[in-house]
Amino acid sequence: MTGEKSPTAVSRRTFIKGVIAGGAAVASANYLFRASTLLGQTPVAAVSERLIAITVNGQQRRVDVMKQETLAWTLRYKLGLTGTKLGCDRAECGSCTVLVDDVPHYSCSMLTHTVRNKKILTVEGLAAADGTLHPVQQGIIDEQGFQCAFCMSGFIMSAVGFLKANPNPTRAELAHGVSGNLCRCQDYDKILTSLMRGAENMRRGTSV
Amino acid sequence: MSSKAAGSNNSIEPQYGKGQKLIGKNYVTADLHAKVTGQAKYAEDFRAEGMLFCKLLLSPLPHARVRHIDTSAALAMPGVKAILTADDLPAPADSVTDNGAVVKASKWGERGLTMEPVYQGEPVLAVAAVDELTAADAIEKIQIDFEPLPFVIDPLETLRPGGPNPRTDGNVWVTPQTPPGPPEVKELKWTEADFSEYKDGRLPMGKTPNEWSHGDLDAGFKNAALVLDETFVTPDTSHETLETRSAMAYWQNGKVYVHSGTQSTWQTLPVLARWLNMDPSKVVFISEYTGGGFGSKVTGGVSMIIPALLSKKANAPVMMRISREEETFIGRARPGFRGRMKVGFSREGRIIALDMFVVSDNGPYDAQGDVPTSGRIASLLYQPQAMRWRGVTVLTNTPPRSAQSSPGGLQAIVIIEPIIAKAARKLGLDQVAIRRINCPEGKAPFGPPVQDKLQYATSAFLKEALDRGAEQFKWKERVARTPKRIGSKVRGVGVSLSCYVGGTIGFDGLLVIGPDGRIRFQSGIGNLGTESMIDVHRVAAEILGVPWERCDVVWGDTSKNFPYTCVSGGSQTTHAMTRAAHAVAMETKKRLQEIAARSLGGNPEDYDVGNERVFRKGGGQGLTLAQAAQKAIEFGGIYDGHEAAKDINKVTQAAVAALAGQGLVAAARDNYGRDGSTFSYVASFAEVEVDVETGKYNIVDFLAYADVGTVIHPRALGGQVLGRSILGIGHAIGQKWVFDPHYGEMVSKRFYQNKPPTILDLPVDMQWGALDIPDPETPVGARGIGEPPVGGGCASILNALSDALGDEIFQRAPVNLDTILTSLEAGRPMQHPLTAHI
Amino acid sequence: MAVIRDVMPAFELVQPTSAAEAQKILEQNGSDALILAGGMDSFDWLKDRIKRPKIVVDLSGIDELKGVRTVADGIEIGAMTTLTEIVNNETIKQKYGLLAQAAELVASPQIRNQGTIGGNVSQDARCWYYRAGWPCYRAGGNICYADDPDGRNREHAILLADRCVAVNPSDSAPALIALDAKVVMRTPKGERVVDAEDYFIGPEIDITRLHILQPGDLLTAIRIPATWANTKFYFEKIRDRNVWDFPLLNIASAMVVSGGTIERIRIAVNAVAARPLRLKAVEDAVRGKAPNAETGVMAGKLAVRWAVPLQFNGYKIPLMRNLVKRAIGGVEEAVWAA
Repeated sequence: MTGEKSPTAVSRRTFIKGVIAGGAAVASANYLFRASTLLGQTPVAAVSERLIAITVNGQQRRVDVMKQETLAWTLRYKLGLTGTKLGCDRAECGSCTVLVDDVPHYSCSMLTHTVRNKKILTVEGLAAADGTLHPVQQGIIDEQGFQCAFCMSGFIMSAVGFLKANPNPTRAELAHGVSGNLCRCQDYDKILTSLMRGAENMRRGTSV
Repeated sequence: MSSKAAGSNNSIEPQYGKGQKLIGKNYVTADLHAKVTGQAKYAEDFRAEGMLFCKLLLSPLPHARVRHIDTSAALAMPGVKAILTADDLPAPADSVTDNGAVVKASKWGERGLTMEPVYQGEPVLAVAAVDELTAADAIEKIQIDFEPLPFVIDPLETLRPGGPNPRTDGNVWVTPQTPPGPPEVKELKWTEADFSEYKDGRLPMGKTPNEWSHGDLDAGFKNAALVLDETFVTPDTSHETLETRSAMAYWQNGKVYVHSGTQSTWQTLPVLARWLNMDPSKVVFISEYTGGGFGSKVTGGVSMIIPALLSKKANAPVMMRISREEETFIGRARPGFRGRMKVGFSREGRIIALDMFVVSDNGPYDAQGDVPTSGRIASLLYQPQAMRWRGVTVLTNTPPRSAQSSPGGLQAIVIIEPIIAKAARKLGLDQVAIRRINCPEGKAPFGPPVQDKLQYATSAFLKEALDRGAEQFKWKERVARTPKRIGSKVRGVGVSLSCYVGGTIGFDGLLVIGPDGRIRFQSGIGNLGTESMIDVHRVAAEILGVPWERCDVVWGDTSKNFPYTCVSGGSQTTHAMTRAAHAVAMETKKRLQEIAARSLGGNPEDYDVGNERVFRKGGGQGLTLAQAAQKAIEFGGIYDGHEAAKDINKVTQAAVAALAGQGLVAAARDNYGRDGSTFSYVASFAEVEVDVETGKYNIVDFLAYADVGTVIHPRALGGQVLGRSILGIGHAIGQKWVFDPHYGEMVSKRFYQNKPPTILDLPVDMQWGALDIPDPETPVGARGIGEPPVGGGCASILNALSDALGDEIFQRAPVNLDTILTSLEAGRPMQHPLTAHI
Repeated sequence: MAVIRDVMPAFELVQPTSAAEAQKILEQNGSDALILAGGMDSFDWLKDRIKRPKIVVDLSGIDELKGVRTVADGIEIGAMTTLTEIVNNETIKQKYGLLAQAAELVASPQIRNQGTIGGNVSQDARCWYYRAGWPCYRAGGNICYADDPDGRNREHAILLADRCVAVNPSDSAPALIALDAKVVMRTPKGERVVDAEDYFIGPEIDITRLHILQPGDLLTAIRIPATWANTKFYFEKIRDRNVWDFPLLNIASAMVVSGGTIERIRIAVNAVAARPLRLKAVEDAVRGKAPNAETGVMAGKLAVRWAVPLQFNGYKIPLMRNLVKRAIGGVEEAVWAA
C-alpha cells in the first residue's frame, strides 16, 4: 500500500452518519420502515415474528425485519453492511452475492426471514480481525483486478464460495464458478487473472 | 510487449517505462483496499439522520401531456412528506463559457421532471416518504391523467412524408452554420421517392441538414476497380452501468450536498449548479466511487436534482434509489445508426472514394455528437482520397441518448468495416493487407476540411500496431489453417482498425508539499476505476523524484479544492491531465530551486530536485522537501499559495487561495503546444467458431493491440483495452433494444432481454498489447485509451463472422443466432436491416 | 392508479415446517396465497407489484421436501431440492445424467443454488408482454400483444399456439419428460401422481397457467423410474447468452440402441409451445432405424411438420429440426489443429 488517503467525507461532517458495521442491534432505526405495514390477518401457527436474530459475519444480530424484506435490504439498510451492492435487484447481476452457509446466493432474491438459522458471510466479514485480507481479496490487490468495483464484492463472494469447494480450478472452471456475476466495465479478463491469483494465494495458505 | 502471454493464467510484468521509476510501472492504487473490503462508498451507501426515500412516477406513454394530477390521497398518507413536480423545478439557467460567453438555456432541454413526457419512463413527479414502501404505495394513490400525443420510435418513420413528429415542434436537430449557434429542433420530411429503396433494405437518402466533402468523389468512383454500396444498422444500447444513478442530497447552512456517481468530479459541480439554478459556491458534490459511466455520467445525470429539491421541500435528507428498470429508462444509451456507404476501391484495395450517409436515432433530448463525429473518424481511420459525408440527427420518443464509449466512432467503424472485409474478398486481398494500405500514418489528414484544408492528427503508429498484432495473433497461420469447417462448426478470423479522439489540452495541475515532506495531489478527476484519477499524478512524482509512498491523492468531494480539470469523457483524461501534472511538476521544481537559492545562496539553476530533496548540483547542501515546504510557508506569496500564477483558471486560483499556507502550494496550467488533434488507435483481431446448424457462435480468441502513446499504468491500460473492446463486442453479439412499435413501449427492460455480455460469452483468455511509442505532441507522450478500442471490438467479430459465413448473412448488429440461421437457410440476408428495434 | 415497480408490497409470510401444514395453509387461502420455493420466479411478480398475494407460503423450512432418495423403482427428488444439488448428486449424475445436464444449464450458479426442481418445472412464461404486466390473454385479458402484426415475438411459440403465443421456458421439463418422470402433488383430495408430460398444459386447457397445479395444491416430489437409467442421453440448450438466459429452444432425449437400431426412445423439446412437447411421432418414426444422420434428418423434418412461424421467430423451425436431427444422429465434435 502507498500512503495515499481515502476520502474522508464521513468523518468530516458529523451530520452524515457513517455506516455502523459492528453495532450490536439495529442501527439508525429512524429511517427504517414504519411499523404499520402488517396486514390485519388472522395469524396462523407458522406466521413468523418480525424481530429476529440472524448471524452475519460471525455475529448474532437482532433486527426488526418486514415479511417482504430481502436479505440485501436488511444488510444494507439495517445492519449498515453496504459492501453488498444492489445492481439490479432481480438476480441478474450478482452484485448482491453473499454466502449463506458457505453457498453463494443473490441476497436481493431471498427473504431475510428464510435465513434466520443460517450463517451469512458478506465482504465485510472476509478479512481477519487484524485486518489481514482474505487471499482472494489479496489476489485482487496483487493484480489490480476490477475497475469501478461495483460488482467486486459479489464476485469476491462467488469466488470464495466456489473455491471452498474447488480449490484448484482451471481458468475456465473459475470463469464458470463466477459466471453468475456481471461486470459492466467488462474487466472480465483482469478479474479472472486476479481471482486465479487469489486461488493461488488460498492454496499457499497465505494472503500476502 | 504484450502484458500477458496467450494461455497463461498469470500476468507477466511488462517492459514498459524503461529508465523510469513510476511511469509505465504497475502499482497498487489508493482506492483498491477500500473496494476489496467493501468500505468504498458509492452514492447509495451514504446515510443521513432522518433520511427520507423518494420514488418516481414515470410516464407510461412514449409521448403525452399531463392533463391532471391529484396527489391528495397520497399526501394524506402517514409518512408521506413531500411531492415534487415539474412546477417545483427552477427555471433552466443559462451557462457561461470560460471566455465569458453566455449560452442561453435550450427550450428543448431535459429538466428532470416534466408535464410533457417525451419517452416512456420519463419521470413526471417524485414522492418523498419515510420509507420506500410508503413512497411506492403513495404513487399508486396518485390519480394522473395523460393525453396521448403522436409518437415515433423509428427514426425513418418520422422522416416519411406525413410521418409523426416526436416533439411538438419537429423531428431533427439542426445546427445553424451561419451564424453558428446551438442546435435547434426543426421539421424535416423526405419524399416518397427517397424511400423507394427502403423495401429492398437500402437506406433512403433524403436531404440532410449537414454535409461536407473533399476531393473529387465522382472521379474516384469512376476510377475505382470495385465499388460497393451497402446499408448497415448499428444497435441502440443502454450504458447499463452496474451502479444506477442513485443520488442522496441534504441541505446545511444554505448549501446543498449531493451524493451521486459521476465520471468527472469537479466538472459536475458547475453543471449541477446550473441545473439547480444556484451559485456553484452553494453546492457541494460528493462522488468518491462511481459504479461505471461509459459516457452516461460524464457530468452525472439531471435526475440528481430531484432528491436535492425534494430535500429542500421536505426539510430532510432524501435518498433516491434508482431501480434497474428506471435506469433503463433514464440511464442513457448509444444512438443507433442507420448507415449507408458507397466505397470505391483501387485494385490494391486503397479507398479512393467514400460516400457516407448516416441517420442517428437521437432519442427525444439533446443533440448528440455521434453524427458529426462519425464522419471525422471514418475519414481519419481509412484515409479515403475523396470523401463526402452527410448525416442527420433524428429525434424519437425513445429513452434519452448520451455519448457512449466511442460515440459516433463505433458506429462509423461498424458500418464501414464489413464493406472493407467484403472488398478484400472480392479483390482477393488479405484482410490485414487491405487495412494496412488504408491505415493512417504520422500526421494523418482527416475531414471535414476547415477553410478548405484538412485537419490532421498529432501522430499515428497504427500500422506498427497492426503489424505487431498480426504477428502476436498469428494472423497468417490462422488464415492458412485448414479445414475451415469440421462437422457443423465453421471458423472465421476477422481484423478491424479502430480509433477515437484521445486527448485535450489546457487544464491545470495543483499540488501541495506539506511540512511533513509529503506531496498531496488535488485530483478533480472522477473515480470510475479507470485509475486515471490517480495514475496521472505519478507523472509529477516521477519528475520530482518522490517515491510514491510519500504521495497522497485527494479526490471525490468538490469542497476539497480541486483545480480546473477536464471532463472524463472523450478519452481525454490521461492526455490532458498528464500534461497538467507535467506542468505543475515543472512549476514545483522551479519554486523549489528558488526556495533553495533564497535559503542557501546561489542561483536557482544551481539546484536540482530529486530523492525528496532540492540540492546543489554536483553535491553539497540542500533542503529536504519538508524543509522546503516550511520555507515556502515562511516566504509566503507565490510559494505557499497566497499568490497564484495569473494564467491558471479562476477555479484553480480559488483552490490555491483556499490551500494557502499549508506548505509549498504549486499550480500550473498546461501551456504546452500541440500540432494536430490527438487520437489513439487500436488494431483488433478475433476468431469465431459458428455452429451452422444452430447459428450459435463462440469467440475463440481476441487480441487488441493499442497505439496509445506512452504507457502510464500497464494493468489499468490492459483493463481499458480489453474492457472497452468487450463493450464493442457486446454490440456484435447481443446488446439491443426491443420495442413494440404499435404502443411505443420497450419490452426489453431486463438484462436477460437486452443482453449485456457475461463472462462466459468471451474467450477465457484474452490478449492485449501496446506499442508504447510516445506521442510527439505531448510532453509525457501519453494519449487516452477508453474509447479507441470499442469500434474494433465490435467490427473484428462481425468480420470474423463474415469470414466464416460469407457476405450474405447480416446487415445489422447485433448478429444473433436467429439472424445467422434464417439467412443460411434462405441463402440471403433474411432480417430487414431497417426494421427498428426487433 | 399510477404504476410503480421494484418495491415489494407488504404480505403476510408463513413458514410451515411440514408438507401437510403447507398444503393446509394453501388450501385455506386459495388464490390469496403464493407459493415461494426458491423464489426466482415469484420475486419478479412481487417486485413488479403485479401479483399481490395476501399470504406468501415459504417452503424453505420443510425438510421432507428436500433431497434425492433412492426408491424401489428409481429415485424420488423432493420438490425443494435445488438445481445445484441435482447437478452434484452422484446417482443422478451416474444414471440420470440427462437431468443433471439440463439443470446445469439453467440460469447462473447462484440461481441454481437457490432455484428448486419444483420451481423450475412450475415457473411461469417469460413472454415480455405478459411479464411486464400487459393485460393479455394469459393475464386474464382478451388480446395477445406478441401475436399482432407489430408484435415482437422472437422468443415465442411455433407450435400449438392458441390465442397466447408464450412458451414454457423450463430446461428441466423436457429432460424429465424424456426420463418418463412422474410429478407428485399433495392436493385437497389427497396425493396425485401424473406423468411429467401431463403436468404441463397449453392455453387450450388453461390460458392463465402453464401447469395443472391449482390453488391449494402442493408439488412435493418428482419420481424418475429406472426405465431410462443409463440410456443414451442427449441434451442441448440454445440461448443467446451463456449465462442467465432462458432457452430459445432446448431438447432432451433418452435412447436405447440395440443391434445398431433404435429400440426405444423418448424425446422432448421446450420453448416452442406453451408446454414442453414430447415428440411421439418422431419416436414412432425412428424406432427400428439406425441412429445416424439420415434418420436424424428424417426425424427433424417430421418434428417441424406442423410448425407455424410468427414474424420474428422463423429461425426456431430450422433450429428445432436440427436439434432433433442431432439428438437422433449425434453431432460431430470439432477438433481443430493448433
